[in-house]
Amino acid sequence: MTAGLSAGKLRVTGRFGPQQSGLRRLVARDSPFRRTDWPLLLAATGLSLIGALLVYSATRGRTALTHGDPQYFLQRHLVNLVVGMVLGAGTVLLGGRRLRGVAPFVYIGSVLLLLAVLSPLGSTVNGAHSWIVLGGGFSIQPAEFGKIGMILAMAMVLAARVDAGEREHPDHRSVGQALLVALVPMVVVLAQPDLGSIMVMVVIVMGCLLASGASHRWIAGLVGAGLLGCVVIWQAGVLSQYQINRFAAFANPALDPAGTGYNTSQARIAIGSGGLLGKGLFHGTQTGGQFVPEQQTDFVFTVAGEELGFVGCLVILGLLGVVLWRACRIARLATDLYGTIVAGGIIAWIAFQAFENIGMTLGIMPVTGLPLPFVSYGGSSMFAVWIAVGLLQSIRIQRPLSA
Amino acid sequence: MKRVKLGRQKVRLRTAVVALGVVGTLFAGRLIQLQAVDGPVYAAQADVTENRFVKVVLPAERGAITDRNGNVLADTVDAYDITADPSMFTPSQAKVADGPARAAALLAPVLGVDAGTLERKLSAKGRYAMLAAQVSPAARQQVLKLKNSNPVLAGVFDSEHSKRVYPAGDLAGNLLGFVSADGKGTGGLEGEYDPLLRGHDGKRTYVQVGGRRVPTAGGKEDPAVPGRDVRLTLDRDLQWTAQQAIADKVRETGADSGSVVAIDVKTGQVLAMASAPGYDPGDLSKVTSRQLAFPALQEAFEPGSTSKVMSMSAVIQEHAAEPGTHVTVPGTLQRADRVFHDDVPHGDWHLTLTGVLAKSSNIGTILATEQLGKNRTQINDTLYSYLRRFGIGQPSGIGYPGETRGILAKPQDWNASQQYTIPFGQGVSMNALQATSVYATVANGGVRVTPTLVAGTTGADGRFTPSPAPKETRAISASTAGTVSDMLEAVVGNDGGTGTYARIPGYRVAGKTGTANRPNPNGPGYSGYTASFIGYAPADKPRIAIGCFLQGPHKTGHFGGPLCGPVFKKVAEEALTEMNVAPSGSPSPNLPINW
Repeated sequence: MTAGLSAGKLRVTGRFGPQQSGLRRLVARDSPFRRTDWPLLLAATGLSLIGALLVYSATRGRTALTHGDPQYFLQRHLVNLVVGMVLGAGTVLLGGRRLRGVAPFVYIGSVLLLLAVLSPLGSTVNGAHSWIVLGGGFSIQPAEFGKIGMILAMAMVLAARVDAGEREHPDHRSVGQALLVALVPMVVVLAQPDLGSIMVMVVIVMGCLLASGASHRWIAGLVGAGLLGCVVIWQAGVLSQYQINRFAAFANPALDPAGTGYNTSQARIAIGSGGLLGKGLFHGTQTGGQFVPEQQTDFVFTVAGEELGFVGCLVILGLLGVVLWRACRIARLATDLYGTIVAGGIIAWIAFQAFENIGMTLGIMPVTGLPLPFVSYGGSSMFAVWIAVGLLQSIRIQRPLSA
Repeated sequence: MKRVKLGRQKVRLRTAVVALGVVGTLFAGRLIQLQAVDGPVYAAQADVTENRFVKVVLPAERGAITDRNGNVLADTVDAYDITADPSMFTPSQAKVADGPARAAALLAPVLGVDAGTLERKLSAKGRYAMLAAQVSPAARQQVLKLKNSNPVLAGVFDSEHSKRVYPAGDLAGNLLGFVSADGKGTGGLEGEYDPLLRGHDGKRTYVQVGGRRVPTAGGKEDPAVPGRDVRLTLDRDLQWTAQQAIADKVRETGADSGSVVAIDVKTGQVLAMASAPGYDPGDLSKVTSRQLAFPALQEAFEPGSTSKVMSMSAVIQEHAAEPGTHVTVPGTLQRADRVFHDDVPHGDWHLTLTGVLAKSSNIGTILATEQLGKNRTQINDTLYSYLRRFGIGQPSGIGYPGETRGILAKPQDWNASQQYTIPFGQGVSMNALQATSVYATVANGGVRVTPTLVAGTTGADGRFTPSPAPKETRAISASTAGTVSDMLEAVVGNDGGTGTYARIPGYRVAGKTGTANRPNPNGPGYSGYTASFIGYAPADKPRIAIGCFLQGPHKTGHFGGPLCGPVFKKVAEEALTEMNVAPSGSPSPNLPINW
């Protein structure tokens, strides 16, 4: 190549030649940059950064946890965010089509990881045997990755015949296979037992089925079976006493305000005392006084309620709304059913987890240990939701320009 | 690339978006309810009612007081107050109708408190009741065990409230002072050294909800800094001997009070200092406020003849006379508008200056001191300066709360008769330590060592910090001290002396008796006597100076020699034994007392 002989020639080459400069490629109409769903990315980033502030506020005084470094959790939250973003970007680079190819491996890998928890590698945190401690203060919660594996595998099974053009909707056989695929990780998680993740997985199954276009009869039948299952679980005494206590405390928070109901009543005091504009970041008395246990993880929303007030809570709800709205849009505009189902599963996952998490701090839902997506402190959760963002982006990038 | 055909899914997605909107609105509504409608209620709860930081004082352990060898005189042991919140025993809180009665029945045998009293306290209004103060750790354990197995006792609490104990009972009790119920040293050494003994209380802050501590809510703890141990110069055994001897003598003579002071001549350290009657600081229930005083330091008296040693020191050092100087002592002596007598009526006595001291003649002392100057002003000024050098009229320097410095008027203020009585120890007052210190000074070759009572302190780290070296000042020359010492030996050694009761076989003893008119403690004038003996041994190589004082003895006479001489002897013998002092190797000078 003889580029550089004259500026004019170089410009001409750049404009009409087969090779384009980096910047031009970036702004080209079909470039990944232009096709990225920016509202989704910005909303997810915004939530994660707000989360960083809330986590910092909740933990900077907890000397027992921070090993004397007030920024211990802040730094780790930000590192988690960066790692999550890299994982998400990696997912986009891998591309939706190739991901479809590796879906079985992702699925099998996640199931193996879940099984590892049941092996001596696993350890119990807060009543659930659902962690693998890696050492050095790091630990992972395989259930978070199990959700992704499950979504990808179900989407693959459900969409196979439809995307091949054989049928318009998944047939009963595909649905049956997909349910079987979903059942495996759920059984493992149930053995841990991690009730919160089971609930999320059930909702993900519903989300995938709804998005796949499976018959209404399947949906109705599964809901019926689910209700029946709840009754059986309650009657059979599978639940631990602490789980039953949580439901009792949910039904009547005044039951034992110093015991089981302590979390909920303190959470409600924190949020309620925030008022319209909150007490100001780092100025919450409930937060500063460390009255709410697990405030940096499952009860992070109470920090927002107390310190940022009603306005701050609405901002978080709004950003979550943006994430879910864009996800719905991506599901609708996907080029193949596979993409729609993956997006549907993700929507169900994030929506339910946000609903349950915020709902429990507001006393609308019983207490379950589920993190608030993007906001709560926790590596596995942060990685998983950002991989989900990557999946959504890769689905969007594949869609035709005419959309 | 083709878009996938979405039929049902479009409807379902639209439904999902609507559902999300509904949920979002629901949340917003709930937030409005919590933060706007009920907001003030929760804000109030966030402030006070349900959540509270509880500050608990971690009491610093009070330091011990020991004798010079580390024998404990005062110590602190763990003890606990058992308290209750009566509001937690009401029928609605305790879930039973007769909460106070049940709790009282359970606690009464453990606390050793009458069940009726407990029930009354638990039924009272308010949120605090003291059920039993300073119970033993064992009793507290029993209470906690009962509390764990009986829900009705949920409102019973314990708090550390350590207890001051005095293992030796009343030994040096009135010198040590005592600790008040709130843990403050009050009076005596407990009061004087309270800032050192007390240490610094720590503080623990934690969060309490519904009467229970919230472990996750963090908290802060500033540990307590324990108080320092104070090591006294006292010797427990000598103190015991001194205290027994003086207590017995006070009882025997019917005296109002009595004191014994024993000073290490070389170091100025007080080895024993006892006043009777005393008390046990561990049990103040039977002690009257008058008994709480420590007479040895807090009571000033006119010393009488023991003070003549200072007059003689002046006479010798100013070369006004010598031990052998002949003094003709008449039976009476007219000075100013008064006629002076000696203790016993007599005709003309032909005494040496030593004899004047040995026979304790007031008249002879007046005559001898008149040689100190050309006129009365000069004489008075000289006498005053010697009294001051011996520490009279000023604090002893021992540092004890409420110590009296006695009264020594300026010479220009001495009235007509006072200028003649001061030479023989009337019209001037001092405390027992000051009086004994005069003899310790003579014994120490004329150098006055400020008396000390505290050898040093020991911190929590176990490191001992000695007290600063005491101040030493020369009161009289070494040769004067030697001469006066020889004269003092005649008081005890000569059969014509007044101090024969103080003799100790094998040891040379120097000393002086005192029988003074005692200022009426309840009004003007004089009433009764102060009997005393102060001396030291061995006179050739003095080690210990001991003073014995009885205020108002009346049952078995009132003379210093027979009353206090034996006390001196008893204490001195014990001290010489303990200090392993060899018997005197040289004979007494045996100065003549007559001519």
